[in-house]
Amino acid sequence: MITSSTDQSVETNTNHLLEPHWAEITAITPEIEGVSTYWLKFTDPLEQAAYSFQPGQFNMVYVPGFGEAAISICSDSQDRSLIGHSIRFVGNVTHAISRLKVGDVVGLRGPFGTSWPVKQMEGKDVFIACGGIGLPPLRPALYHIIRNREKYGKVTLLYGARTASDLMYTNEYDSWREANIDVQVTVDRGDSSWNGRIGVVPMWFYNFRIDPRKTAVLTCGPEIMIRFVIFEALARRVPPESIYVSLERNMKCGQGSCGHCQLGPYFICKDGPVFRFDALQPFFNVEEF
Amino acid sequence: MNTAKETAAELRKIPWFREITPEHFQTIAAITHLRRVRAGEVLFRQGDKANEIYIVIEGRVALDMLVPHRGKIRFYTAEPWEVFGWSSATPIIHQRTAGATAVIDGLIACINAEKLHQACDDDHDLGYLVMRRLANIVASRLLVTRLQLIDMFANPESQNAK
Amino acid sequence: MPNDHRPKLGSTIAIQKPVFNTLLARLREAGYQTIGPCIKNDTLVYDSIESINELPYGYISEQNAGHFRLIQAGHKNYFDVIPGAQSWKQFLFPPRVDLFALRKNDKGWETITPPLDAPAYAFIGVRACELAAIQIQDRIFMRDDFNDPIYRNRRKRAFILSVDCSNPAGTCFCVSMGTGPRVKGGFDLNLTELDDVFLLTIGSELALGLVSDLPFEDASAFMLSTAERIMDNAAKKMGRSLDISDLPELILKNLDDPYWQEIGSRCLSCANCTQVCPTCFCWDALDHMSLNGLETSRERVWDSCFNPGYSYQAGGNTRPTISSRYRQWLSHKLGTWEQQNGTLGCVGCGRCITWCPAEIDLTKEISILRKEASK
Repeated sequence: MITSSTDQSVETNTNHLLEPHWAEITAITPEIEGVSTYWLKFTDPLEQAAYSFQPGQFNMVYVPGFGEAAISICSDSQDRSLIGHSIRFVGNVTHAISRLKVGDVVGLRGPFGTSWPVKQMEGKDVFIACGGIGLPPLRPALYHIIRNREKYGKVTLLYGARTASDLMYTNEYDSWREANIDVQVTVDRGDSSWNGRIGVVPMWFYNFRIDPRKTAVLTCGPEIMIRFVIFEALARRVPPESIYVSLERNMKCGQGSCGHCQLGPYFICKDGPVFRFDALQPFFNVEEF
Repeated sequence: MNTAKETAAELRKIPWFREITPEHFQTIAAITHLRRVRAGEVLFRQGDKANEIYIVIEGRVALDMLVPHRGKIRFYTAEPWEVFGWSSATPIIHQRTAGATAVIDGLIACINAEKLHQACDDDHDLGYLVMRRLANIVASRLLVTRLQLIDMFANPESQNAK
Repeated sequence: MPNDHRPKLGSTIAIQKPVFNTLLARLREAGYQTIGPCIKNDTLVYDSIESINELPYGYISEQNAGHFRLIQAGHKNYFDVIPGAQSWKQFLFPPRVDLFALRKNDKGWETITPPLDAPAYAFIGVRACELAAIQIQDRIFMRDDFNDPIYRNRRKRAFILSVDCSNPAGTCFCVSMGTGPRVKGGFDLNLTELDDVFLLTIGSELALGLVSDLPFEDASAFMLSTAERIMDNAAKKMGRSLDISDLPELILKNLDDPYWQEIGSRCLSCANCTQVCPTCFCWDALDHMSLNGLETSRERVWDSCFNPGYSYQAGGNTRPTISSRYRQWLSHKLGTWEQQNGTLGCVGCGRCITWCPAEIDLTKEISILRKEASK
């Protein structure tokens, strides 16, 4: 509890926590329609050198005049030279980002939030079920697993998208497979040129033998998909404590202050975005909560 | 061509067939034959007479519909152990509602639909097991269709514009 | 009767009411802007006051659901009026404040941080519930992992003269929330108003310095017992009550109760309750860019979970219905707040009841929800 103090002096040179730190766009990689990856580097080399993040965390990306958006980091957490953000152009801020070019600067604050439990998963099988632009926040976890492949058992990536042309990072699947990751993709609809799977991610669970005692399930994607992934994982007796979910909501601060991202007792920005499912269970099926 | 022994061996790989009695298993195995398919091979087309129910043993079979101006749209693929063409097990549908094309080389178990009907009529215990399995397949396929219908990956802005 | 010794920290002294003017002058000499309740444009506000004569002498406020009237009751008291829509929140967590400005140059954007130049405030007449609310907001804005310099600089420099509530209003329920009517701590000076004198309890060294050479007498046993009696009476005069025995569980176990829809059908989603609530802390950050695109400023403004845009993101709204927004507000305030901050988010001040144009009364809604839930 704070008691009143006698100190009347004003603090000086106090930058506000919400002030952006500037980062230059060094490259832009178009991924799929409406999604590009922006490769950012702090303009201050010391800031770049000091920056590190854990797989699953996010940054607040700021475009002056437009505002900030919470964007997950999709690059390798061991690559300290650049920060990657795969950004879908939907909403005011990200449309503004879509008009930026290499050499422009954006504001960055972060990293924020919880991360995928890469340490706790050691010695376990890892079953990743994700969809659409739910893959980018999981890619740093994949890189971590690949770098420490011997520490994990069977690793499966089950990834779904609307059509074949909506699949992210397709040029990397072979290298992931070479690292002994079972990469399985499925799409919602296909034409005659698509010889892969058609169907939705949760329904493919039955194709895989999951040992519920030693498997960690990670999921990210549209909330409706996440719901059924969890439904299937629980049906296969994977305990809620072994299921990890990454959620997103409107965020203004990234630090559990502005209130926007609340889900029950949690601030998704601070207590998430990655949650162990047992923490979410009481609220997960409450409509419009 | 394959022998009854081979057919039974392949069917036994499928978990559901390991859970039924040897008598029921024999009944179904006796009306089933195996068929090797090549990538691109059409198993049936929309409108064909529906006389068989299929189970994928190996490979992948795409279900498609021909949509004018858009060509053949693939809306589902059956993967190993999955049943397709199941609507011929219903009493009303006698023709194929969709087409089926093998997209990779594979092995398919083909069950004679008419004989399966007969076997289920003769032995309601078997009929119950088959219909329960069928209900499961329909439920799961319905869920897939719903999730596709929701178009969950669509750009939320275009969704709202609707 | 003048006194020949000096008061002590923690002791209670009595001053004649006019002496209060000297205290206000001392505070201003010490650099404080003295803010207190006063009547402006026929309504009760918190604003700069320099004299005891600006306090709403003799007034009380009549409050009920959707109802607030200032009444000249002819009381001989300065601090009988229960506050209006405003709370001290507006000084510590301003409704709008500049975070930073940006100016474009050839390298990018130059950041201009505005100075933390708010005055040192002396809050005159902070009610027990309001002090509890400030302490709740301290937990929001001065966390180890999010310590907001704008709030901190205002809060740490503020002088708090609290006041025991003798005349609670119709929407008060601080007794239920355990916050009042008597101030418990966290003040520099605490005032109890008797007929002829103000009792002042000295809560800080700073306050001790300010009052030490005022003409005072020690509070007599009679004065203290009178104060005690006034407080006991006040506690019995609460206009509302709220049974918090099974909160937050009652709410969190009944999030699907259809009663939320019923409340939602009455709620206008006007956000009044969140704006008058002294603990509501949600904010938004907005950019204002010059037409030539070379300058922008970013400001922080109060937001509300009742605003449709509050939970809007990437093309969708998490809480599109009013009932879901009301449930969010109440289940946070009287539910999940506890897990976040260790206390409930309600202090029993009753503002959300008084200022609701639809007369929604959370004490009533909770008791109905309790009955619905036990069906």
